[in-house]
Amino acid sequence: MNKQVPTISVSDEIILNLKVLAEEKEGVRRKLAVTAAKLAVTAKKLAVIAEKKESIRRKLVATAKEKEVVRLELAVTAAKLAVTARRLAVTAKEKESARRHKLAVTAAKLAMTAEKLAATAKEKENVRRKLAVTAAKLAVTAEKLAVTAEKLAATAEKLAATAKEKESVRRKLAVTAKKLAATAEEKEVVRRKLAVIAWELAVTAKEKESVRRKLAVTAKEKEVVRRKLAVTAAKLKISYETLEKKVLERTKSLEMARAKEEAILLSIGDGLLATDEKGNIIFINKTAERLFDKKSKEVMGKKFSDVIPLEDEKEVFIPLEKHPVNMVLTAGAATASLPTAYYRSKSRNRFPMAIMATPVVLDGKTIGAIKVFRDITSEREVDKAKTEFVSLASHQLRTPLSTVNWYAEMLLAGDVGEMSEQQNKYLNEVYRSNQRMVELVNALLDVASLELGTFAIESEKVDICQLAESIIDEQKPEIGTRKLRFSFSCAKDISFIHTDPKHLRMVIQNILSNAIKYSPDGGKIHLSITLADKQNILIKISDNGYGIPKSQQDKIFTKLFRADNVRDKDTDGTGLGLYIVKSIVDNSGGKIWFTSPPKNAKNGTNFCVTLPINGVPRLMKVK
Amino acid sequence: MKQIPKNKTILVIEDERPLLEAINAKLERNGFKVIAARSVEEAFNANIKKDGVGAITIDSIEQALNYLESLERVDAIWLDHHLLGDENGLDFVKKFKANGGRWNKIPVFVVSNAASPKTIKSYTRAGVSKYYVKSDHRLDEIIKDIETYVTN
Repeated sequence: MNKQVPTISVSDEIILNLKVLAEEKEGVRRKLAVTAAKLAVTAKKLAVIAEKKESIRRKLVATAKEKEVVRLELAVTAAKLAVTARRLAVTAKEKESARRHKLAVTAAKLAMTAEKLAATAKEKENVRRKLAVTAAKLAVTAEKLAVTAEKLAATAEKLAATAKEKESVRRKLAVTAKKLAATAEEKEVVRRKLAVIAWELAVTAKEKESVRRKLAVTAKEKEVVRRKLAVTAAKLKISYETLEKKVLERTKSLEMARAKEEAILLSIGDGLLATDEKGNIIFINKTAERLFDKKSKEVMGKKFSDVIPLEDEKEVFIPLEKHPVNMVLTAGAATASLPTAYYRSKSRNRFPMAIMATPVVLDGKTIGAIKVFRDITSEREVDKAKTEFVSLASHQLRTPLSTVNWYAEMLLAGDVGEMSEQQNKYLNEVYRSNQRMVELVNALLDVASLELGTFAIESEKVDICQLAESIIDEQKPEIGTRKLRFSFSCAKDISFIHTDPKHLRMVIQNILSNAIKYSPDGGKIHLSITLADKQNILIKISDNGYGIPKSQQDKIFTKLFRADNVRDKDTDGTGLGLYIVKSIVDNSGGKIWFTSPPKNAKNGTNFCVTLPINGVPRLMKVK
Repeated sequence: MKQIPKNKTILVIEDERPLLEAINAKLERNGFKVIAARSVEEAFNANIKKDGVGAITIDSIEQALNYLESLERVDAIWLDHHLLGDENGLDFVKKFKANGGRWNKIPVFVVSNAASPKTIKSYTRAGVSKYYVKSDHRLDEIIKDIETYVTN
């Protein structure tokens, strides 16, 4: 179109055409403006939609921005076109004349512009098509958005429901969590306990392990031992068989021995009775059978006191507690004896028995008692004969002595006339010797009685202080003539003692008369009676006399012994006094001793005697 | 010589003749009237005259005792244990005491050489006044005791 348009006539037409074109362009422009306005509305709607759907809108925003860019480009283009149109209009007016010349140019230019416009239009059409496509895409997108929005709404509802459910679940979970927390604490306690138990178990396990190891070791050792045992067992079997034979042989010989022992027991000359710990008879020998006049079968297993009743001298039954067997079984006595018991058998008369019982002790325990007894009829007869002899002898010996005594007495008293001094002196010697003879006979008879055992202790309550005083009274004349300084004390807390008064008298009398006899004239003698302890009294007689020579002190209590120093000074004395005293004291359960000279003294003798206040425990006494 | 009332009579029963004579002499010297016997039987059958020693025969103890009753008086009895015959001093005391009556009051003095405690106890129980072991006492000692006893 740049080629020269040659005529003006044509120019009007062209202008008309241009006007039409402009009008058409205006129409297009308007349509484009409408389209742009519509697009703006759509964009706004989209923006609204985009605003509403935040998450989706972000994507849409990008699209919208792109659209906005396109729209702005289009708006710029439209504005440029509007500017161009106005310039054209101005040019047309101002260069009305010139335009003819230039019209061609302008026409050409217009043609070119038209061409450009056409191209632009084509481009616009493309854009429009692209926009339409875009719009269609937008519509689709909008639909999709709507669907998406619905879905989102549904999703949001679901999410809300889910949220609620979750909330309730959460609350439940919270409760559960609390419960779990409490449970957790309990579990913690339990856990700690379990931890302790676990620790203990661990310790136990360790121990077990060590035990197990030891056991393992032991097991090995056992195995070794077992093997050895097996060997030993084999050996033992052989030994056992040998032993069996030997045992049989030994049993036979033991049976023989036992039979022998039983035969020995059975044949003992004294009666023998054995009981178990309850006093039931388990054995009696032949002598016992004979003495009791009962067969072994009759008495076996029966209580000894029921089968063998005992009587005393007065034919009164002896109570169970006084039976020697009972005493060793219940009172724990080492031995118990009954010197005077009588048994009355079926066929024989009453006869006296001497009984001695001892406990059978095995491993420190009394498992029974053995009673040994014998018929003492003949012994009794012998004793009786001896006693009779002593009493007869005493009488027979004393009678001539009495005769000499009394006749000498009468002669000396001048009953048959006065005698010369010489006669008197001689007769006095006869009288004094006779007195000594009397003393000697008395002492010898006492000794005989003591040794025969007929020196019976006749225990009774004795006022010892009173008894001592009566002995002193007898000695007073002698004490007076010898000018002895005598003193006596008796403790106030002593009243009675259980003893034989005759014996006690002999004890005190002998020691006192010795003190008197063996002290020089004017000597000092003291007799005291005190309590030695709760059970014993102490009789003490001290003098400052001649004393007992050290070399002869060990013989002082022997029969017929007289110390040298007193034999020189006084020929009176039997040598039996202290022997008798010692015998009595020993038999009374007392003690006698002396010191000569006494402590802190140059000379003299100190005699001490203790005697039990309650007398001799007679039942336990074994003669 | 002591002054003893003339009528004090003592019955002495002692088997040993020398001793009986000694006792008799000493008692008479001390102013006693003595009736002597050597056995229980004799004591009861004593042929005794009212004024001294004699012999009579009686059949029973009862008679003897009756006879003794008939005596003027017996103030004391001196008795030995061992006597002639089957009976001893103790038998005498028992019979004597069993009779009762006036006799019970007559003191009995046993003067014997039997010195066993058992014998002494039997006499004491039977009720004798005193027991002397013959060889341990002087005659004058015993007689002094008896004198004291019968005069009080």
